[in-house]
Amino acid sequence: MTTGSPRGVSLHGRIGGFTTDPSHVGPIVRARRVWDYRRILWVLIKRDLKVRYSDSVLGYVWTVLEPLLMSLVYWFIFTKLFFRGDPRYTNPYIVFLLSGQLAWYWFNGSITGTMKSLLGEAQMVRSTNVPRELWVLRTIMSKATEFIFSLPVLIAFMLYYRPHINREILYWPLAFLLEWILLVGFGLILAPVTVLVRDVDRVVRIVLRVLFYASPVLYSVNQGRVEKLAWFYTLNPIAGILDLFRVGIFPLEMDRNRVMVSCIETVLIFVVGIFVFARLERQVLKEI
Amino acid sequence: MDEPVISLRDVGICFSKNRKRRRSLRDLVLHGSPAPKSGEFWPFRHVNLDIQRGETIGVVGRNGQGKSTLLSLIAGVLLPDEGRVTVRDGVAPLIAITGGFESELSARENIYLVSQLHGMTPAEIDEEFDDIVEFSEVGEFLDTPFKHFSSGMKVRLAFSVVSRLDEPILLIDEVLAVGDKAFRNKCYARIESLLAGGDTTLFLVSHSATHLKRFCKRGIYLLDGEIRADGPIDDVIRQYEIDTDTLDEDLADSDI
Repeated sequence: MTTGSPRGVSLHGRIGGFTTDPSHVGPIVRARRVWDYRRILWVLIKRDLKVRYSDSVLGYVWTVLEPLLMSLVYWFIFTKLFFRGDPRYTNPYIVFLLSGQLAWYWFNGSITGTMKSLLGEAQMVRSTNVPRELWVLRTIMSKATEFIFSLPVLIAFMLYYRPHINREILYWPLAFLLEWILLVGFGLILAPVTVLVRDVDRVVRIVLRVLFYASPVLYSVNQGRVEKLAWFYTLNPIAGILDLFRVGIFPLEMDRNRVMVSCIETVLIFVVGIFVFARLERQVLKEI
Repeated sequence: MDEPVISLRDVGICFSKNRKRRRSLRDLVLHGSPAPKSGEFWPFRHVNLDIQRGETIGVVGRNGQGKSTLLSLIAGVLLPDEGRVTVRDGVAPLIAITGGFESELSARENIYLVSQLHGMTPAEIDEEFDDIVEFSEVGEFLDTPFKHFSSGMKVRLAFSVVSRLDEPILLIDEVLAVGDKAFRNKCYARIESLLAGGDTTLFLVSHSATHLKRFCKRGIYLLDGEIRADGPIDDVIRQYEIDTDTLDEDLADSDI
């Protein structure tokens, strides 16, 4: 519950001082403190990217290899081996797959990453008084950068298949923002909870695998057979986000209710995340 | 009198004694602390303390009396369960100083990373870089990954970086037990030069009476979760020695 310094920035243009006074620990103060430390956040993200891209020969390839390979596998299975339902909704299928897969890999990587974001940096968390939220944000933003860097692969396939692009493509930034906020919310919950209850990590991994098939990544919700489950997709916040990512190329994917519910859930999870993180921080610092 | 630079008001912190406790997440989320249990242990409680700018404080006490916990609270890396801690200046924590260092990165990259984590700008680090390297005596290993450093070299580099932070509050927690004598003497000289201006506030945890008397004017003696004594360092050390039956011995052979 460390909060913004009563004096602002110290003599050396740095951030100095703090108080644990409960009347100074509201979410706004915490947010301002994170903002004060944005430069450090940037340092951490740069370091992550450096480790990922400049220190390994195949740096960039690793970012796209897995989603690309898996997309090709699914493409083969569902265009050559099994009938995947009415192709009207999902053609060109590889573009449909990749647009979902890349967003899913960002989600999946961020969730598994945030569970380690405090534990993996235990030494740093114990020795520096940066706002603890920074460790969570850093993981999500590093993964977001990787997501952006992986987009050229999707664009390459789009240039090859030349699907019709409508102006709903403008929803894309909204989709990005929504997924980002959702991830921050989940991250702020999962990072401290994993420190206190280590088993959470395993449970979440299983949930993620199930969620992958329970979200319309490989298939369209419109492809019949799932009508009775429509309520489920409406409740699944990822479904609405995938809608927004895809609607520019697959106009039939958009469902207003799904998107609305996604937005509401995202904001809700974000608020809960802020609350839970602030509540658990004190205990986390003792246990880590 | 000025506003105190560090103030602790009725501060208490509680740890759990047994490892196998059943944690209730529900209690944690709803009340912000686990439900009271028998296995509670308070390193200290109801502690009040005011430190003015420029004071030099030596902390004594036997192992497990909360000395390190006190420093962690002032560094902001632990938060109190009761009361409040207010610190009105930047802190250079020489506690677990090798903590922020990344084992995969080189010494050079680590200097930049850790200094920035503690709030320095790249321009400031550029300015200090040569001094940091020279002081640490690891010049020829600048591009060696940190993990290949010996523990002595790690502490040397870490001390060089953290002692350059130029923050008005300095916390030192027996960090210098590692490192050879020549380097330790250099560190003491460095601490003295940091204190020379008279504006730096120092918190020193040590078992060495010699060092406490050398650097500190005021002493705090922690016992059973309370401040047993608070006053001129000589009196506090004397009291501690009487209590622990070590009068006329040096507190311990180990340095700082």
